[in-house]
Amino acid sequence: MSARAHAARAVSSALRGLRASPITSAIATGTIALCLLLAGSFGLLLVNMERVLTHFGQEVRVSAYLSDDMPSEQQEALALRVQRLPGVESVAWVSKQAALERFRASPFGRASLLDGLDENPLPASLEIVLVPEQRNSKGLDALVRTLGDLPGIEELGYGHEWVEGYARAVALVRGVALAIGAVLALATLLIVSNTIRLSVYARRDEIEILALVGAGRAFVATPFLLEGLLEGAAGGLLALAGIALGFHALTGTFGTGLELVLGTTQPIFFGPGEMLGLVALGAGLGGLGSGAAVLRVQRS
Amino acid sequence: MRGFGAEPAPPGAGGLVRLYHVSKAYQAGSWALRDVSLELEKGDLAFVTGPSGAGKSTLMRLVFAAERPSEGQILVLGRNVGRLGTAGISRLRRRIGVVFQDFKLLHRRTVEDNVGVALEVMGVPARERKARVFAMLKRVGLHHRRQHHPLSLSGGEQQRLALARALVNDPEVLLADEPTGNLDPDLTLEIMDLIASAAARGTAVFVATHDHALVERYGRRRLRLEGGRLIEDLRVGSR
Repeated sequence: MSARAHAARAVSSALRGLRASPITSAIATGTIALCLLLAGSFGLLLVNMERVLTHFGQEVRVSAYLSDDMPSEQQEALALRVQRLPGVESVAWVSKQAALERFRASPFGRASLLDGLDENPLPASLEIVLVPEQRNSKGLDALVRTLGDLPGIEELGYGHEWVEGYARAVALVRGVALAIGAVLALATLLIVSNTIRLSVYARRDEIEILALVGAGRAFVATPFLLEGLLEGAAGGLLALAGIALGFHALTGTFGTGLELVLGTTQPIFFGPGEMLGLVALGAGLGGLGSGAAVLRVQRS
Repeated sequence: MRGFGAEPAPPGAGGLVRLYHVSKAYQAGSWALRDVSLELEKGDLAFVTGPSGAGKSTLMRLVFAAERPSEGQILVLGRNVGRLGTAGISRLRRRIGVVFQDFKLLHRRTVEDNVGVALEVMGVPARERKARVFAMLKRVGLHHRRQHHPLSLSGGEQQRLALARALVNDPEVLLADEPTGNLDPDLTLEIMDLIASAAARGTAVFVATHDHALVERYGRRRLRLEGGRLIEDLRVGSR
C-alpha cells in the first residue's frame, strides 16, 4: 500500500472512529476545550499584564537637563550620542521652548506663574528611556554614571526608589504568573491525557482485534493519533471562541473600568500566532495523549 | 486410540505448524500444556478435542503467537514463534486465519468492514478488497447483510462472519475455536464444508471442538488433549 493510500486509510478510519463514538469524542473535546479555556484565559491575562508592565516601564527614564549655554545644534548632537549608549532604548530632545509649552499644557502649569518672567526659566533636556532589561536600579545607576561624564549635562533627574519598586513588582508578577502557569499547564496535561486515555481504553477491544488479524502497531495507532489530534484541535478552537466571547463581554461591560486600571493601555486579544498556538496546543495534547494511550494498550 | 482404522500420524518434513516438546505454564508449576509435539501439514484438517481446560485454546493461542511457550519450540510457516518481534508477529498473523470462540468482531464497524479489515492490514487495494469481501460474504450467506453491524446479527450469523474474516485472505493456516458452537445442524454442515474446502485448497486447519459428530464426519486428523498433554494423535483414512 502506498504512503498516500496509508494516509487516506488512516484519515478515513479516524473520521469513522469519531462518528462511531460521538459521545466519547464530545467528552474528550469538551474536556480539552475547558482546560484550554482556563489556560488560554490565563495566557491572555498574562499578555495584557506584560503590556501594562511594559507601559509602566516606559516611565523608567532619566531626564538630563542641559546647559542653557549649549547651542541647539550641540544639544541635538548630544542626543544622538546618548542614543548610541548601551542600555538606551530611545532619546527625546526637549528644547527650552518645548519644555515651556509642555509645562503650560500640564495640569500643574499655570500661565500666571510665568507671567512676571522675562525669559523662559526651563532648561532644554534629553528624556532617555532604557531598554526593558536595564529598567532596574543597576541599569539606571550605570547609565547615570555614563551621562554624568558627558559635557553639557547640568543635572540628572530620575526616581531611584520608583525604579526599585517597579523592578520588584515585575519580578513578583512574573513569579506568580510562572507558578500559576506551571500548575495550570500540569493540570491541563494530566486531565487531557487521562480523558483521552479513557476514550482509547473504551475501544481497547478494537485495538486488540486489529492486532489479532495482523495489523501492525502504526496501522492501529495512526487513526487513534489522528482522532486525538482532531479532538484536540476542535477543543482548541472551542476554547479560543470561549475566550474571545469572554474578552469581548468583559471589555464591552467594563471598558471604562479597565481603562482606569490599565491607564492608557487598551486590553488586547491574542494575535494570529497566539491563536494558532492555542489550537496547535490542543491538537498536540490530543494527539500525544491518544498516541501514548494506544501504545500503552498495545504493550499490555 | 479412538476411531476405526486409525493410525498414528507419521512425522512429516514439510509441516506448516510444528510443535517440539512445547509446554506452557501461566503460573509456576501449573501447566496448561505439557510437552506437546505435533506437526500439521499443508491440507491437514485436524480436530482438537478434550474436556474444558485440557489446553485446546492455549494450543491455538500459541500457534497464532498470542502467547509464547514456556518450554519447547513452535515453528509456524517456517517462523520460530518464540523469537518473533512485534512486527514479525503481525506479518505472521496476516497469513493465519483465526475464528475465535467469542468471535472478536468490531462492533462499531459494518459486516463488510469486519471482513475487509483482514485484507486491509495486508494492503489489498479498496476495489479488490470490496470484490473479495462480497464473494466471501456470499459464500457464508451474509452478503445481504453487509451494511449491518455485528450486534444486529444472530449468534450464528456472527459466527459465519468470524469465519468469513478468517478465510477471506486465503490463509495458509486456519485456527477455529468451536466454529459451529452456535449453529443449527444445517448451518454447521455448511460452515464445516467451507472449512473443509479451505483444507482441500491446502490450508492447514486446526478445529477445536466438543462436537464428536463433527469429528466423526470430518476428522481426518484427530488430536486429543487431556490435562495439557496430547494423549492421541491419529490420522483417519486417506486425505
